[in-house]
Amino acid sequence: MSLTSLDVTGFYALLRREVLRFVRRPRNTFVPPFITNVLYFSVFGVILGERIDQIAGVPYILFILPGLIVLGAVSNAFENASFSIFHGRWNRYIEEALTSPLSYTSMVGAYVLSSATRGILVGVLVALIGVFFTSVGVAQPFYLVAFMLVITLLFAGLGVIGGLWADDFDDLTMMNQFILRPLVFFGGVFYSLNEIPEAFRQASLLNPMIYMVNGVRYGFLGVTEVDPNLSLGVLSALTFVVVAVNVALFRRGYGLTD
Amino acid sequence: MKSAIEIRDLTKSYGDVRALDGVDLDVPEGSFFGLLGPNGAGKTTFINILVGLVRKSGGEARVFGHDVEADYREARDCIGLAPQEFNVDRFFPIREVLEHKAGYHGISQADAKERADEVLKRVGIHDKRDTRFDWLSGGMKRRFMLARALITDPDLLILDEPTAGVDVQLRHELWETITDLNDRGTTILLTTHYIEEAERLCDEVAILDSGRVLEVASPDELMDRGTDDIVVQLRDPPTAVPDFAADDDRVDAVELDGSRLVVTAQQGGLVAPDVVQALDRDAHEIVDLEISRTSLEEVFVEMTRQDEGRATMEVEQ
Repeated sequence: MSLTSLDVTGFYALLRREVLRFVRRPRNTFVPPFITNVLYFSVFGVILGERIDQIAGVPYILFILPGLIVLGAVSNAFENASFSIFHGRWNRYIEEALTSPLSYTSMVGAYVLSSATRGILVGVLVALIGVFFTSVGVAQPFYLVAFMLVITLLFAGLGVIGGLWADDFDDLTMMNQFILRPLVFFGGVFYSLNEIPEAFRQASLLNPMIYMVNGVRYGFLGVTEVDPNLSLGVLSALTFVVVAVNVALFRRGYGLTD
Repeated sequence: MKSAIEIRDLTKSYGDVRALDGVDLDVPEGSFFGLLGPNGAGKTTFINILVGLVRKSGGEARVFGHDVEADYREARDCIGLAPQEFNVDRFFPIREVLEHKAGYHGISQADAKERADEVLKRVGIHDKRDTRFDWLSGGMKRRFMLARALITDPDLLILDEPTAGVDVQLRHELWETITDLNDRGTTILLTTHYIEEAERLCDEVAILDSGRVLEVASPDELMDRGTDDIVVQLRDPPTAVPDFAADDDRVDAVELDGSRLVVTAQQGGLVAPDVVQALDRDAHEIVDLEISRTSLEEVFVEMTRQDEGRATMEVEQ
């Protein structure tokens, strides 16, 4: 068997394993974001939203919908990759893949792609919940798909780094609570950049989440506060760099070998 | 004969600690090779370098001619590993775990299913195929470790303490399975604490201590280097201890306890006829004679003790 065909089969086997792991545990993977987002839409969208004027020309519930999709998608992509890799290291079963003839690129590819898949599935789930609360169309389908792909891949790649770096489960919680959540909440999910003081606005532009939320918002609503092409370009480049770092870390055995 | 494993000047350091200190070793293709050594000798480090779980600090390691780092994919594809510690995917039933492992080695899903059933039957836990690893008994877990190592039909099977903590019956069953594989051409590398296991199964053993190979030889050769006890029960106690050592360099010591005479000698089987003749000549009537061969364990303990002594002297100097 050639190494190429071995790698295709091996990559598919690891990808399948990773996808089955979260698909078979909906109580851990899909039910929590379902409940959380029903609460978000109920409280922020319906109860508070009725008391807030339109933002960027759209009702508040519609304004926050893309942001909630991004929040669900990136946090699940990150969490899936970081948990899967860390749990595999913790219980050492990641060695089943590490001692196989899979190339490091295939290993990373399988972890990143499966985690991005979970992110996209959760994003779709949040969109479906949003449709239940308000009517929404897709103004720019290409941008919507492109941004969803890029941001879930990017956060899956960051999750791989987190999973390799973590020494215990507290580190995973810490990354989620102290890094990911602040980025998301200051990333323009719940407010418009035009409605905050200029200094905060400039600081916010350093947050990559701003570009992700606005990109997906542009896909749904056709409105954005930053240039979508520039955002897509920068995020794509960043994703490429992060995945390249993932492969380099696997090759070096960072967090994986003694 | 070609080598399944070729090791040259292999080193592994953890800070100041040298886990492997210039190991040279050749494991012939098709052989049943044992790696013996006390805890901390470097056995598991050695194995983990071969499969890519530990990165070597220096030297060369090849599996069937493939460098374990430069050609890591080819090298790993040849190896089936049953490690000492359980490292099994806890999310899936064991049959699926096997299917995944086979998949990582490029085996199609349909073939992987067939192979999984086959190896589970071979190790006798097919009826547990839909159970997760955590729910297996200790013995079944050991069987599963072997099944997982076999799922890819490896050319080199590495077994790190495969029978640790299993009962005698299971140990014998596992020995039978492994021996059968070796008879069919699979090279086996075995580490074990059970010297009886090495004595019984291995063509050749390497004794490893403090990261160094002390000796490579067949179990018989090693045992020949130890001393045997020739125990002779006489009808009447002799008045003096016969001086066998004066006539034979192979005799180390002679002890008399009433009518029981113990002659400690190298190659006891060859010395025993001379002892019998000498006793006959002196008109001693022999009631019983038994030769107690030295065990590999005794040789092993002696060799590692000597090495410890040498290391202490080096430190003191």
